[in-house]
Amino acid sequence: MNPVAIPVLHSAVAIMTPLLLASMGGLFTELSGMLNIALEGLMLMGAFASIVFTHFTGNMVVGIALGVLASMLLAAILGTVTLHLKSNVFITALAANLFASGLTVVLSFKLFGNKGVVVFNDIGRLPRLDIPALAKIPVFGDIFIGHNIFVYLSWVLLALCAWVLYRTPFGFRLRATGIHEQAMVSLGMRPSRYRFIAFLVSGFTCALGGAMLTLNLGAFVPNITSGKGWIALVVIFLGQKKPIGLLFAALVFGFADAFSNYAQGAWNVPADFILAIPYVFTLVAMVLFSIYTSRKNRVE
Amino acid sequence: MEHALEMRGIVKIYTETGLRANDGVDLTLNKGQILCLAGENGAGKTTLMKVLYGLEKPDAGTISVMGKPVSITSPLQANRLGIGMVHQHFMLVDDFTVAQNVTLGKEPLKGRFSYDLKGADEAVDAVIRRHRFSIDATKRVGSLTVGQKQQVEIVKMLYRDVDILILDEPTAVLTEQEIESLFITLRALAEHGTSLILITHKLHEITAISDRVAIMRQGAMVGDFPTDSVDGKQISRLMMGQSVSLVVDRLPYTPVQHPVLRFDNVSVLKRNQQRPLLDGVSFAARSGEILGFAGVGGNGLGVLEAVLGGFLPISSGAIVHKDEDISRLDSHALRKRGLAYVPADRLQVGSALKATVSENLIVDARNEFTRHGVMQRKKIEAHTQSLLKTYSVKGSPSMPIGTLSGGNIQKVILAREITQYQDYIVFSEPTWGLDIASSRFVYERMVQLRDEGAAVLLISSNLDEILAVSDRVIVMYRGTIVAVLEAEELRQVTKEDMGAYMLGLRQQEAPHG
Repeated sequence: MNPVAIPVLHSAVAIMTPLLLASMGGLFTELSGMLNIALEGLMLMGAFASIVFTHFTGNMVVGIALGVLASMLLAAILGTVTLHLKSNVFITALAANLFASGLTVVLSFKLFGNKGVVVFNDIGRLPRLDIPALAKIPVFGDIFIGHNIFVYLSWVLLALCAWVLYRTPFGFRLRATGIHEQAMVSLGMRPSRYRFIAFLVSGFTCALGGAMLTLNLGAFVPNITSGKGWIALVVIFLGQKKPIGLLFAALVFGFADAFSNYAQGAWNVPADFILAIPYVFTLVAMVLFSIYTSRKNRVE
Repeated sequence: MEHALEMRGIVKIYTETGLRANDGVDLTLNKGQILCLAGENGAGKTTLMKVLYGLEKPDAGTISVMGKPVSITSPLQANRLGIGMVHQHFMLVDDFTVAQNVTLGKEPLKGRFSYDLKGADEAVDAVIRRHRFSIDATKRVGSLTVGQKQQVEIVKMLYRDVDILILDEPTAVLTEQEIESLFITLRALAEHGTSLILITHKLHEITAISDRVAIMRQGAMVGDFPTDSVDGKQISRLMMGQSVSLVVDRLPYTPVQHPVLRFDNVSVLKRNQQRPLLDGVSFAARSGEILGFAGVGGNGLGVLEAVLGGFLPISSGAIVHKDEDISRLDSHALRKRGLAYVPADRLQVGSALKATVSENLIVDARNEFTRHGVMQRKKIEAHTQSLLKTYSVKGSPSMPIGTLSGGNIQKVILAREITQYQDYIVFSEPTWGLDIASSRFVYERMVQLRDEGAAVLLISSNLDEILAVSDRVIVMYRGTIVAVLEAEELRQVTKEDMGAYMLGLRQQEAPHG
């Protein structure tokens, strides 16, 4: 195999992880019948809170846990305003994004006197996992070992996600809510309850996705998520709203990103063009996807 | 005998509209009894049943089930008390299997958290077999027929062990055979001791299935009898508040011979299709007559409606209105020329459900209600109020039209289209799903238009309706005209004759409309 390909694929697997995590939570809200565009804000909240709490508590596990809580709190507010006060989910989610973007910078300035990049030197590296059994497999082993724990956690969570959605009463009710809300009402169940839980789940997984970004870097950069929450939304649709689909769709974007990182160093092309690759990729993927689905619908 | 159910003095007032949907209603039901709850659209039947099923909270009144007073605040609680409801519109998740739909909310578990999918299949299959239904528990609901979907709804309630089953207009969407097998099922359920309440306004169904009939009018219970002690006329009188007949007073038909709209050899052929949907159709609609189009579904009536409405371009021939060829015009252009059209699908095509009654009424005539591009509220309000009064619509201008009953929605559409009409007007299935009073209202308007000199085109699969109001009848079969009936011939034609034409068993020689 091409010696360049393995490092690119290895970094693709790492890059796809925040996307995969965020899209998992987004899948819950999507299947419950809501377009949750707040993934970006939830990720950012988790990213900021995780590293700040890790810094203050000196413990990464506690830091991540509090970061997850912060993001879930924002998700709970979003859920309450949308489901109980009946405001439009698109508007409130947009507000949540702006809120997260503003709040993180304000707090960063208050706490560290810096509106720009804040580097935390006291934070250890994210633990990496080497699975000896995996390492022995050629190529495959080279691509999938030596990642940080978030990467492996995301695979476990994805399996859990699939089980919850397709093998538990909760999953069936959640999906029923998205497909035919009145059917749920007619059986005495409250769709808003299932949607609220879906919001919490999206807060949970988005926070993990965000935490990986900052903890891996050991620093907080304003708007560090840089559109990853939006791409996670695309991943949901490209993955046909199925857990296994998310994995492939996220990998596609992870690869595009890894490739552009590689190309930046290797090719003599203006960086701006290369940095645009993932976005061009998103556009092309969406167009191809919509052509594919419209073909499929026509056949049916 | 102990009452399975007793409702006393139920009052339900809708606060948004102030409508007293139920005004002190009493209803009792015995064990194993089939009760038909009859009444016109908007009489309060569905509201009463929603109160019983916990979907609406009553403002006053008491309910007792099996002799015990209860308060029902949610469908879940209704289920626990043994009350189930099959809604008029199916409450099914198409992507799930039959078993998954039936068990939704009451899923069998494997361990503490895991949904026992196999257990669900088995449990649902057992219910299906016990009651001799013909559905497969593992099939996707989306792939079932309408009749089968209704069976799923009934199984859903039986799985919850209900003793009292409410069915809201269960036959509205079924074919004759499906209705027959539904009735067999319902009788078997009653024999097993289930008490049934059927909401309906069809007289022949009441006599065919029920032991008892309760009749509501304007939110009140106006009659309650054993079915075999009353006849259809009595029931109808109570429902209506007066005796009615289908026959409408009208001027004698004087063939005024000036054609308003003419079809010259019109054909519609879709790409990749062998057989044309319309095949060389020629006729003229004349002023001062009601021209009826009869036919069995799938023989060109729907296509004719789409062509008249400007949704479907024709492949050959010409459509001529006042000596001008209008074959190539779309809906917008046609309406500018005065096309007035009451579509068969009043919910999707005829109205914008979320828009208000006012907005639906003026949607086509916005320019008349604006000054310098600004809507004139007062003028619109006055216009709407006067139309609502003329057409006796129960509803207010600012209500979303979707909250009105079917009959009232149709009246709003009629009001708009009759205001819009200039010399011809198309009615497609105008009384489909309407009660007798609303149907009669539609017929009277049609005759009134005809007496004023309009060319009225009535497309209908309801033979009684066609024969009762048309001055001339065109029968369609496989996209062509097979018979044109008028004057003496129309007066003497029997339903059997019509049936023979409609089914293609008989054909006139060179029929000319």
